Amino acid sequence: MAQVKFFATLRDITGKREMEIKNVKNVAELLQHLYEMFGDEFRKEIEERNMILVNGKNILDLDGYETKIKEKDEISIFPPAGGG
Amino acid sequence: MYGYWGKILRVNLSTGEIKTEEFGEDFVKKWLGTRGFGIHYLLKEMDSKVDPLSEENKMIFSTGALTGTTAPTGGRYMVITKSPLTGYIAMANSGGFFGAELKMAGWDAIIVEGKSNKPVYLRIEDDKVEIKDASHVWGKRVGETERILTEEFGDKHVQIASIGPAGENLVKFAAIMNNGHRAAGRGGVGAVMGSKKLKAIVVRGHKRVEVIDRSKFISVVREKTEKLKNDPVAGSGLPSFGTAVLVNIINQNGLYPTMNFRYGQFKYAEEQSGEAMAKKYLKRNKPCYACPIGCGRVNDMDTVGETEGPEYESTWAMGANLGINDLASIIEANHLCDDLGLDTISTGGTLATAMELYDKGLLKQDDLGDAPPFRWGNTEVLHYYISKLAKREGFGDVLAEGGYRLAEKYGCVDCFMGVKKQELPAYDPRGAEGHGLGYATDNRGGDHIKAYLISPEILGYPYKMDPHDISDEKVKMLILFQDLTAVIDAAGMCVFTTFGLGADDYRDLLNAAFGFNLSTEEWLKIGEKIWNAERLFNLKAGLKPLEEDTLPKRLTDEPMPEGPNKGHVVRLKEMVPRYYALRGWNEDGSISEAKLKELGLEEYI
Repeated sequence: MAQVKFFATLRDITGKREMEIKNVKNVAELLQHLYEMFGDEFRKEIEERNMILVNGKNILDLDGYETKIKEKDEISIFPPAGGG
Repeated sequence: MYGYWGKILRVNLSTGEIKTEEFGEDFVKKWLGTRGFGIHYLLKEMDSKVDPLSEENKMIFSTGALTGTTAPTGGRYMVITKSPLTGYIAMANSGGFFGAELKMAGWDAIIVEGKSNKPVYLRIEDDKVEIKDASHVWGKRVGETERILTEEFGDKHVQIASIGPAGENLVKFAAIMNNGHRAAGRGGVGAVMGSKKLKAIVVRGHKRVEVIDRSKFISVVREKTEKLKNDPVAGSGLPSFGTAVLVNIINQNGLYPTMNFRYGQFKYAEEQSGEAMAKKYLKRNKPCYACPIGCGRVNDMDTVGETEGPEYESTWAMGANLGINDLASIIEANHLCDDLGLDTISTGGTLATAMELYDKGLLKQDDLGDAPPFRWGNTEVLHYYISKLAKREGFGDVLAEGGYRLAEKYGCVDCFMGVKKQELPAYDPRGAEGHGLGYATDNRGGDHIKAYLISPEILGYPYKMDPHDISDEKVKMLILFQDLTAVIDAAGMCVFTTFGLGADDYRDLLNAAFGFNLSTEEWLKIGEKIWNAERLFNLKAGLKPLEEDTLPKRLTDEPMPEGPNKGHVVRLKEMVPRYYALRGWNEDGSISEAKLKELGLEEYI
């Protein structure tokens, strides 16, 4: 069982701060699952740009959407965001 | 001339003399504006070794090339002077509406020199400039000062840059405030203003800033504004949650400095995040002049009423950095800092230093008497000591000197988390090593805004870089960010535009305003010149590069204890020599003769 955390606008779209998820082997599969669950609004918010962390590490510094998800991993999903 | 009036106001507060000086297009092509203009005057006219709080120090309030135009975010001004906190260059930048109003009054910059022997303010109504008595507002807070001086002027559209009690009392990290909550915050520029007994600059302008070809300029402005509006960060993320959207992002990435940079994650970050703030307190957004982003927050609190902020930095400085988990207290503390005229980052950093010293038993309760103990997480510390330090009362007098001098006094310089005596901002560089090199080499000391490598290393702009890569590519990216930020600052635009715009976009806007035909590389060369000129000022002021282009030991020698960056330090020693070489500097960190010649800086040596 992995833990998925949503941030910023994704919380309004999903109505959740976090959820548990089972039986996904990588980030691509996780996203597919979430797109089916939360629909086009969710997809549009993060499809082009996003920040996805697995245990605090950006998937772009790991294996991108192929990054594996294991039991007890924590996945943080952000829409594009910045500040300073 | 277009874009500028070619007019500089020179005010000598010792003699009361007010003069107008002129400049031409060549000066713009050489120095562009704000930081560029400022460093030119400081290098030309002032010994870099002067005491920052003496009458020999000069202050330049300068607009930028696009300030007062319709360019997106084109409303900014900067204050350039010698910092009493670092002893090096200070160039503090502020938004709001003051900068645009100054330009619309027909002035591109003001040089303030000398020192008045009684409190005064500068009243500017277009061409009419007067030095007026400010005894009646001396001692007043920023909000009250703005209210009284606006009433006195008799025009609600007047814009005011002023200091609060902190600046008057020469607190080494006092800010200059405008529009109540917008700060030219860092480096103690407010203390320099206080040392000159200059309480405020009040300005009202009725002129329109002209560009060379209005219709062409408007079409370029429209194109760039659309780009910003369509950008998911500038057009959506920042307006929705403000800069505090970063609290969760930086915390989840494991570089949210907690308890004076002991840790990289704060257990209660969620409760003080931009998301939490928007839900509990947000009343509306508040954009600065000509800004399509509108990241400013107006929050509503039972205790202080409507207030603005806190920004990400301030939320952290008075929250996680002190182990404090109480958003309401953080918002109130931020309001208090604004009203007293204090830099929130250095205020929080100084209090964090005190907590570290207290925790180590170096600062004892006996030193504080009945005052609140500096325990991690003690919210009492905020209101009590912020009020005391602004007035230099009791232990506040020690705090008013900043974290470095506090740590030195209690025999633990390593307890101070800063660079060149200025407190660090809200990113632990053990989770973004290029950003750490940025801290170490910043001309104004511990600072994030002059080269925001968090963008590529964490946020992925303009593209994602591994935060633990320290290759030449990373060092070159830092240099590019330093030079480009100097251009954006000198253009009078906000650095948040970089989320939606690239270097070519700034070129287009600048060329369209002035009718120049400079390439992106030529504009960046001006940025490089500004960076080097500021470095030259610091070197002349006594900077010892090999000792001072550095980071606190905690960040270079103590591995991050937990979280995603566990085990990492900043490998600074491996980066600094390559940074010097890629800058074209000597191995000792001084600027090579060839580089000075290439940039046309020999006349300033």
